[in-house]
Amino acid sequence: MREFLRWTMAGVLALGACAGAAVGAELLVDDPGSLVVSAAPALLGPITESGRTGWDCAPEHAATARTASGAGLPRT
Amino acid sequence: MAVASLLAFAAVTGAALPQTYSRPTPSPRLTDPGALAARIRDREVHERFARGVGAEERSDWNAAAAEFRRVVALDPPEPKGSSARYDLALAESHLGRDDVATGLLEEALHRDPGFAAAAANLVALQLRRGDRAAALAAAERYLAIAPAAFLARYGHGLAALRAGDLPAARADFRALIDADPAYAVAHYDLALVELRAGRDDAARAELDRALALSPAYARARFALGTVLMRGGLRADARVAFDRCARDAADPALRALAIDLRDRL
Repeated sequence: MREFLRWTMAGVLALGACAGAAVGAELLVDDPGSLVVSAAPALLGPITESGRTGWDCAPEHAATARTASGAGLPRT
Repeated sequence: MAVASLLAFAAVTGAALPQTYSRPTPSPRLTDPGALAARIRDREVHERFARGVGAEERSDWNAAAAEFRRVVALDPPEPKGSSARYDLALAESHLGRDDVATGLLEEALHRDPGFAAAAANLVALQLRRGDRAAALAAAERYLAIAPAAFLARYGHGLAALRAGDLPAARADFRALIDADPAYAVAHYDLALVELRAGRDDAARAELDRALALSPAYARARFALGTVLMRGGLRADARVAFDRCARDAADPALRALAIDLRDRL
């Protein structure tokens, strides 16, 4: 009896997951606004005590770079 | 003879004059309590900065936070004061205290209004927190500090898109494409702008460009599949979802792609 209940519960959960995925898929096709925007940029790294008084501050360089690679952004 | 006598007289009288010395330079008063306290404080700031940055580099965020909290309390002059707040914000954010981190970055920018890295991290944190108005305000401030910065334009585009300001987002992503035409992510985000504006053809063109630049870009492949499906191109959509299912590292995206592929 316990085994039967366990299998029934697993079946219900699997059906629920499938239904959830199906609803999610329908929503994505019908409503383009639900497609996920690119991720927020990662936080720039630490700055040393003298970092911003010289010309070798990597976070400041990244924050002012004019290209994606200079800014440390991922390519996809 | 007369000249020699004169010289001898002058030498004798000159030697009799008192010696003159320049005024002595005051010796440094290192034992003065005020000066000594300042030197001790400077040394402590120096050591705690080094230990704090070292802790951040090995991702020991609790240790880093303790060091930078003390530096902030010691209140060193600029640019150390704003740098310490920036570093403490980084540690607090990694410890899950984004509210505290945003407050520290605001303080850093108040102390140094041109601190671009602090402005960049404030935008990233506000986007992560999902506060659309705060993210857009932070992105506008960052853009004012560094108008030509790629990261500033990218953050502003994301904030505008999330806030539903499609013209601003479109302008930002087009500017990014002009600055770096090979950046596939800007094409993808521009495609989302066009999709939300109901311009599926323009969106499809941007997704094609993104995928030409980065063929394994699963998120762009999925979006293309949805555009093709809405356009009635079921066979092409099936191919797109199938490729997405193979390329996607994100299990949720892979599950959605498999579900849509299997329905077509």
